[in-house]
Amino acid sequence: MINSQYSIDYFNELPLIIKVVWVFSFVLFLTIILLTIYLKIFRSYLRKKDQEKVKFKTEYEGLLVTYLYSSSDPRKLNPEQEAIILQLQNSLKSASERKIIISVLYNLMNEVSGEMSESIKTFYYKTGLIDYALAKLKNKNWYTIAKGIGELTRFNIVEAHDHISKFIKHPRNEVRNATQLYLVNLFRFNGLHFLDDLNVPLSEWVQVQLLETLQKFDDQQICNIQPWLKSTNNTVILFALKLAQIYNQFEVKDSLIELLSHSNKEIRVKAIDVLSHLYGIEAKEILKTNFNELSLEEQISFFGLLEKLVVPSDEPFVEKHLFHKNFEIQLLALKILKSINVDKFKWLSNSAKTNYNSEMIEYVNNI
Amino acid sequence: MTKKKILLAEDNSTLSLLLKFRLEKEGYELLIAKDGNEAISFIISENPDLILTDIMMPFVSGLEVISHLRLKLNLDTPVIVFSSAGQEEMVLKAFNLGANDFMAKPFSPNELVIRVKRLLM
Repeated sequence: MINSQYSIDYFNELPLIIKVVWVFSFVLFLTIILLTIYLKIFRSYLRKKDQEKVKFKTEYEGLLVTYLYSSSDPRKLNPEQEAIILQLQNSLKSASERKIIISVLYNLMNEVSGEMSESIKTFYYKTGLIDYALAKLKNKNWYTIAKGIGELTRFNIVEAHDHISKFIKHPRNEVRNATQLYLVNLFRFNGLHFLDDLNVPLSEWVQVQLLETLQKFDDQQICNIQPWLKSTNNTVILFALKLAQIYNQFEVKDSLIELLSHSNKEIRVKAIDVLSHLYGIEAKEILKTNFNELSLEEQISFFGLLEKLVVPSDEPFVEKHLFHKNFEIQLLALKILKSINVDKFKWLSNSAKTNYNSEMIEYVNNI
Repeated sequence: MTKKKILLAEDNSTLSLLLKFRLEKEGYELLIAKDGNEAISFIISENPDLILTDIMMPFVSGLEVISHLRLKLNLDTPVIVFSSAGQEEMVLKAFNLGANDFMAKPFSPNELVIRVKRLLM
């Protein structure tokens, strides 16, 4: 009692700043204690949740495997399978358990093919998981819609086409991308027709995803890409150019040549790449004739093409550009000259000490 | 007659369970390893007759398992490798290290059973 009275008196006599520090330290100490307790409770809650997840996952994996091996016909259910579906339908009412079941199904869907994959799809329908995914499409939150589309894509639900295709012009990029991937994953090249009237940019990342998806199919019969090469959307043209290059679309030559005079520089440069890939020497001659009308990037790109397809008759053209104002073109011209006429290159090396970049000559000489 | 032992090294527990169920039905004894470390321990302790291994696994990859089996333990146990799309280079490496067969994911468990039987004949 005396001690505590002494402490209070001592505290009261302290200067204000020290009092504030004491109070602050006390509050801080109390906060740390409370946070430690909270963290401990939170961690044990998470651990419990994790244990539950593992328990449910093991249980559902067992049920799924039993379901899959109970019948040899993936479309016809036997009583044992019906019992499993009934049991799981009750668990599906809980969102967390539904998430676990979907992850188990998806883990397997990616790894097995044939009848087994068909059985998984039947399971997805019969348990009513498809209804939950379709309900997500009616949600007002864009991320829930995108998640729903992603899920229906993963389980190859063709029947959801009409529900999903209406999101192709959704204001959110993420929803549009999910829709585009759904269409291409399920309908392959036919799914690309959303490009016909796409008026928003198609990001590089989505283009890569679409190309990757298309390449995993056995049937590589591509549709007509001509309309996309004439699109008013530059990203659609760039994507079509990639398709033309990957799928060797020789029949679009005229459209590719037209693109050489497109207002967008990136398209012009890419068109040069595609033309050189598809037509080689023929494209080279066209571009050589129009060389002076090309922009600097296009001229560099053309010299890149020339490096691969050069023939001795190109020597005068190359020689003409040995002193081009652009460093890259100069370097490429020198490299090309060395490859077609070593004597002339050596002569240039010896006589050029005064009027040519000696470091560049030395570099090309050492290649 | 003693059952032939198959070691399955696969980090996807659902697939492991599915294959265990299928191969046990065919009369084999299945040992499941969740990662490459466990797989190596099983190889040393159980000396399986066949190894099924995924390429990408936590801690020790399928390639390292094959390398350990062939170069350190000097065992000629047949190995079937599972690979995903885009792992073609890994498959070539697996063959160079001594894998006997490979299956690209997604694969049919029925086809796997045929390949297993062929290697264990």
